[in-house]
Amino acid sequence: MKSLCVAVLLLAVSGLVMSAEEDSSSQAKLLVSKQILNKYLVEDMDIVLKYSLYNVGSSAAVNVALKDSSFPADSFSVVGGSLELNVDRIPPGANVSHVVVVRPRKPGYFNFSSAEVNYLPSDEAKQPQFAVSSEPGEGGIIAFRDFDKKFSPHVLDWAAFAVMTLPCLAIPFLLWWSSKSKYEALVKGGKKDKSNKD
Amino acid sequence: MSSKSKAFTREEELLLQDFSRNVSTKSSALFYGNAFIVSAIPIWLFWRIHMIDLYSSLISFVVVTLVSTYLVAFAYKNTKFVLKHKVAVKREDAVTREMTKKLAEDKKMSKKEKDERILWKKNEVADYEATTFSIFYNNALFLAIVIFASFYVLKSFTPAFNYILSVGVAGGLLALLSTGTQ
Repeated sequence: MKSLCVAVLLLAVSGLVMSAEEDSSSQAKLLVSKQILNKYLVEDMDIVLKYSLYNVGSSAAVNVALKDSSFPADSFSVVGGSLELNVDRIPPGANVSHVVVVRPRKPGYFNFSSAEVNYLPSDEAKQPQFAVSSEPGEGGIIAFRDFDKKFSPHVLDWAAFAVMTLPCLAIPFLLWWSSKSKYEALVKGGKKDKSNKD
Repeated sequence: MSSKSKAFTREEELLLQDFSRNVSTKSSALFYGNAFIVSAIPIWLFWRIHMIDLYSSLISFVVVTLVSTYLVAFAYKNTKFVLKHKVAVKREDAVTREMTKKLAEDKKMSKKEKDERILWKKNEVADYEATTFSIFYNNALFLAIVIFASFYVLKSFTPAFNYILSVGVAGGLLALLSTGTQ
């Protein structure tokens, strides 16, 4: 008797799930990812963020609004693109990608959290659907000084160093060389004269 | 009598100058000036490439540059002293020939004075060549040691420690090598 009750209950629950799936199958479903495309996160240098929206549902997503409010203005400045995106429609099975370039103002660890997305799951829907993107997680922003020290070839700095050291080396060398060659030529000339006389 | 004693004193002075380790004020100023410039140049490398903090290392810059100036000037002096004798021997023939040619027309000049002039010229040429070569050699060696030490040996140390050690060691090594060649 007890097992029968459990079976009936299970059937009821699965029925509910089935009906919910049927409902959602005619709706748009957005998968939203947020990616950082940089290998190194460096103070005062560009960080490229890519947002990808993919509609896996069977209906078009309408009035899609993506907003990323995870970058506080005192820590980041937006140098390219916008942290807000509005798309009228994303048809089923379609992709939308959006790229933003930001610059961190200071070094340190920063938690890159998710962006928020609002959309209507179908043309008829009145209730907006709220979604969040994937979150890239915590990233360490390196100080520019450290990055420069490690990766810059310092061509100009070395050139300036060469210009500074050149007089210190070239002037004494040329003075010594001119005196040396003058007297060596004298000795050679003298020997030739001697051999000619002989 | 007085002229004879005067001539003797001059010759003696020349000999003394030839064999002494002391340098004239002029060449001493030249040595210290050059040593100061070459000791200060590594600051640029540490500031621009090793990214040392300029303000916090100001005291170490001053102290290390002064110590290194003294050591490099010391090395210049020693190297010059060693070189001067070698150069004097090498240039003896050439200088004698040059001076005899020059003084041949002057019939009034006594042989002693001519010899004196040749000796003086020999001393001057040896001094000039030894000074210029010593500056060139020590500058090149100093900069090579600083670059090698700071970019290879002490690469992993902090820039401030790297600076003190590499410039200090370069100056010390230069001074040591210059005394070793005697």
